[in-house]
Amino acid sequence: MLSPRLRFAIAVAKSASAASKLVGNKGETLPGRILLAIEPEAISLLAAGKEVILISGTNGKTSTTRAVASIVSQLGEVATSGSGSNLAWGAANALMSPASFAVLEIDELHLPAIIAQTDPSVVLLLNLTRDQLHRMHEVKRVADRWHVECTEASNTIFVADIDDPFINYATVNAINVVRVSFGGRPHPDGAVCPRCGSYLTWLRGNYSCTCGLTNKISDAKFKKGSAAYRNAILANVVGEVVDAPPIEFTEIQLERTVVKDFAGKTAHFRLTKNPASWTEALSAELHHEVILVLNARQVDGIDTSWLWDVSFAALKGHSVIVCGERALDMAYRIHVEGVEAVLANSFEEAISLCKGSDISVLCAYTAFFELVM
Amino acid sequence: MLEIIRIHNELLGTYGDRGNADVLKYRAGLRKIKARVTDISYLDPLPATGDIYLLGGAEDAAQLLSLTALRKGSILKKAADRGAVVLAICAGFQILGSKYVTRDEEIKGLGLLDVVTTPGDKRLVGDIAIKSELFALPLTGFENHSSVTTLGADTQPFGRVIEGNGNGVAGLDGAINKNVFGTYLHGPVLARNPEFADLLLERAVGSAIASVDDELAVRYATWRRSLLK
Repeated sequence: MLSPRLRFAIAVAKSASAASKLVGNKGETLPGRILLAIEPEAISLLAAGKEVILISGTNGKTSTTRAVASIVSQLGEVATSGSGSNLAWGAANALMSPASFAVLEIDELHLPAIIAQTDPSVVLLLNLTRDQLHRMHEVKRVADRWHVECTEASNTIFVADIDDPFINYATVNAINVVRVSFGGRPHPDGAVCPRCGSYLTWLRGNYSCTCGLTNKISDAKFKKGSAAYRNAILANVVGEVVDAPPIEFTEIQLERTVVKDFAGKTAHFRLTKNPASWTEALSAELHHEVILVLNARQVDGIDTSWLWDVSFAALKGHSVIVCGERALDMAYRIHVEGVEAVLANSFEEAISLCKGSDISVLCAYTAFFELVM
Repeated sequence: MLEIIRIHNELLGTYGDRGNADVLKYRAGLRKIKARVTDISYLDPLPATGDIYLLGGAEDAAQLLSLTALRKGSILKKAADRGAVVLAICAGFQILGSKYVTRDEEIKGLGLLDVVTTPGDKRLVGDIAIKSELFALPLTGFENHSSVTTLGADTQPFGRVIEGNGNGVAGLDGAINKNVFGTYLHGPVLARNPEFADLLLERAVGSAIASVDDELAVRYATWRRSLLK
């Protein structure tokens, strides 16, 4: 039975949601904020009657959450957070649903608190690499916080991609862990053992440390593949843990790709927001004409230094246009690597400069939301 | 051949400082100066014959590993003593000092700069601009650290802070000792400030270098300066 205060909080939040949608918002942040303002315990109170599954990691959270939600929905109604609404109020908003399952995408820094509040049955941890360092400060700092909370959460089953040493370290002392390996892959920030501080020994994407941390011992082993392929598998491992039948996904379904028409030209958008996602996107097939959109607002990371950790050599021979609030940061970065771009004042101008019918657009977080969502 | 040695980028590469080497090589190339960037990992011996040595920002455990490896044979100190150029950013700057203090221990540095680094009480994150006597215009960058650095009595700062924090002490950023430069500016600093890249090239070559017209580099640096508050 819900407490009177919680019922009141939900009523106010829901009317705010309706009002917010009327003025054209997605209506996810405001009601959650109101709910938490009136009832600060709302998340744990609402989670108590549900089977909660959380998904976190630097890259792939939104698409993998969508995949897990569709797998779990074979078992019953699922409440889930909308695109990228992954802070406490996004979780609070989703949990207001009467559904018996909740599948929630959670921001890396918010994850420990949300685990403590929701006592989830399963937590899927995808990867940890550099992202928004002005906010995260260091990858190791995030992993340390996860490590503490994962060790405490004795009712939770963690599904961990241990090819990422930070994920392995985060769950190394957790009580229930399904350790998944895809045969190893290099990690852009994985030179040092996150557990003991020694220099990690890497061989063909597999690591081992004198302290014992390694990806060579796992509970489930799959073949190597793209991030989208791995996330599809991980989503189905979560499904297996909760006894849901597997669903086959195409890689496209798990990529943060959106196709949209602009005056007869087809723009193939891909979300690129940190060194790992840029590197992944640049390793895929690109159309001859490529537009790069760079912003540096809070969720993009306000420091663009990380552009220098990405190799843009794959763009050589392509026709490249750069736009966005930090277009010059990007233009100069690729200039030094030998890729000359045209600077456009806006995305609309960039697309109007394109001659072909299909254009690849590699797009920063905030720009992605403004242009395609 | 100008030898640019990028030291332990897998450890000292957290904040994009690897780009400093790329900019140096690029701007050397604009003058037809042959340059080569050599990446030296933690497991490799440090070459003694480099013309420019570069160190970047790092997380704590990585910083300590790098320092431990660089102590062997004092190669970097000897290189600096013979006049090689050294540019060290953030964590790299800290390990060049006489010592740095963490919450747990006091660690002896490499002694290229007479500075001491101690834990600060808050994280210093954001845009930074400094005015150095070496340049007519301010330099811009981004800082992200929590330690503060105090200069020895006779140590020259790299610049005065205009915006941001720098060393976090006395409104100063960085330190200089002949051809050794330490600073808290990421960005990477040489991408954001081509005149600084040119100064390092000049010091490494040992004579004046031709001025070049890289319109995009100037436009970028000018624009970033125009964003100063």
